Amino acid sequence: MDQLLQTLKDGIAIGSLYALIALGYTMVYGILKFINFAHSDVVVLGAWLSLLFARKLEAVTGWGAPPWWAGALVLILAMAACALAGFCIERLAYKPIRGAPRLNVLITAIGVSLFLQNMGQQEWMFGTRPANIPALVNDATLFTVGRVNFTLLDAAGVGTALALMVGLEWLVFHTKIGRGMRAVSHSTATASLMGVPVNRVISTTFVIGSALAAAGGFLWALKYSQIKQTADTSWTLLGLKAFVAAVVGGIGNVRGAMLGGLAIGMLEMFGAAYLWSSMTDVYVFGLLIAVLLLRPGGILGKAVVEKV
Amino acid sequence: MSGSDVILDVRGVSKSFGGLKAVQDFSLSLSQGGLKGLIGPNGAGKTTVFNLLTGVYRPDAGTVRLGGANLVGLRPCAIAEAGMARTFQNIRLFGQLSVLDNVRLACHLRSSGTMTGAVLGSVFARGQERAMTERARELLRLFDLADREDEEARNLPYGDQRRLEIARALATGPAVLLLDEPAAGMNPQEKVELRQLIRRVRQEFKVTILLIEHDMGLVMDVCERIAVLDYGQVIAEGTPAEVQSNPRVVEAYLGEAPAEAGHA
Ligand SMILES: Nc1ncnc2c1ncn2[C@@H]1O[C@H](COP(=O)(O)OP(=O)(O)OP(=O)(O)O)[C@@H](O)[C@H]1O
Ligand SMILES: [Mg+2]
Repeated sequence: MDQLLQTLKDGIAIGSLYALIALGYTMVYGILKFINFAHSDVVVLGAWLSLLFARKLEAVTGWGAPPWWAGALVLILAMAACALAGFCIERLAYKPIRGAPRLNVLITAIGVSLFLQNMGQQEWMFGTRPANIPALVNDATLFTVGRVNFTLLDAAGVGTALALMVGLEWLVFHTKIGRGMRAVSHSTATASLMGVPVNRVISTTFVIGSALAAAGGFLWALKYSQIKQTADTSWTLLGLKAFVAAVVGGIGNVRGAMLGGLAIGMLEMFGAAYLWSSMTDVYVFGLLIAVLLLRPGGILGKAVVEKV
Repeated sequence: MSGSDVILDVRGVSKSFGGLKAVQDFSLSLSQGGLKGLIGPNGAGKTTVFNLLTGVYRPDAGTVRLGGANLVGLRPCAIAEAGMARTFQNIRLFGQLSVLDNVRLACHLRSSGTMTGAVLGSVFARGQERAMTERARELLRLFDLADREDEEARNLPYGDQRRLEIARALATGPAVLLLDEPAAGMNPQEKVELRQLIRRVRQEFKVTILLIEHDMGLVMDVCERIAVLDYGQVIAEGTPAEVQSNPRVVEAYLGEAPAEAGHA
């Protein structure tokens, strides 16, 4: 019983993190129909910037125990910085080649990814050694069920992820910009003819996706406290799993990305707890293969019928 | 037609696709509040004219002036903002969006709140949303689609989709409305209703209309003037009676389906 509860808790925690990152992949795919391979590097940027901001804040306030707003402030700063980075990436790298063959765009995305990884390794950026983020939450056990502790950090992590997802859901389905995104996703040309400022919608999509990626990086840093260098393979794996989450949920589908993230997180944690703990990656990619074979459009995706 | 009340003035517009001259030296003017037909055999270049007017294609030559401003080279969304709206020969609704959202989306253009304002979730943006929803519902009522507002657009019957396209175009608040074969695929009853709808739209929205249509009965009935296109060139222009008795027009339509040739 305890193990079940613990596994559920862990699954939700890691799953909501995957979901946050998956949203960025899925939103960009939905609108531009390409996989933004640089997305996971924005997550890494978010994690490292969180660390830098946290250190600065610690130095300035000289806190013994972090004040309650420390985490929120760092999160907001990291999200804002990554939003700006996302905006610039789109403007400088992707916009000039809009309409180019997909392969060009894909290669550009890989280029951006390598650029960000190598930039991050520079000594004047983040360097090549792992670093520890100062504690941002004065952690305490909120309550205990059986032998499972629910801590403030758990609650803050899941709460942040949930709040952001609810916010995004509202944005996409109940606001002007969200309607614009859905229209552009359906047909860029028609949306433009109906007066939708397509460039602004695309920029906003990158801004929002990158801000969510930053939140993902922040939560990752909070959860594991040690942050590896920007070109570390663990980041690639994190990005890949989030991407798998987007595909499993149905790429291009916002709700699908959330669902896929949770599904992947749960699968990993339950697989690790009840089967073999060393095989979590196998479960994830096994699920990907199964979904691609049985329901290629993803759980919430619609089967695409090629028009002839 | 006096020069002062000309709202849309197209001069010498041409467009080639490779070696094919789809539209050649096309000129046309629409007077404020007028309703003109654009007819011609299949492949004459009618839809291409619409694509040139709305910025889907950039003309190789010529000018398109809407209320005096040259539109050539503007992006489609800027042309929409300038007051040009259209429907499509092959229906191009946002199929996965609800009927209401299709129209609301087009309302964005004339609502003052910025898109980014919505990101900040201001009270102001919420007021905007309510105003747009109200306007969209009004349009849907006029087009008899009010009871289907929550359905996905692609699930509507064909005739309803055609009307929804007109409603969506009107939601952008156009000065000039371009209708590309609105009666295509409609049954006779729907076609009769469409005639009334076009007239009503013209009165209530004070829009100038350019209508492409193969149904000659409909064109001759609702249009005040008609331009005839053949092989990308205007071969005749005038009142329905003038056009019907023009020998070049009759010739252009020879070999066409008898039903159409008979009217022309
Ligand atoms: N994007 C394009 N590329 C190449 N050729 C094109 C393109 N668009 C149109 N054409 C060609 O231009 C000519 C005019 O086409 P257009 O669609 O304008 O005709 P239309 O008058 O609308 O005909 P219909 O009554 O069948 O709709 C046709 O020969 C068509 O094949
Ligand atoms: Mg056509």
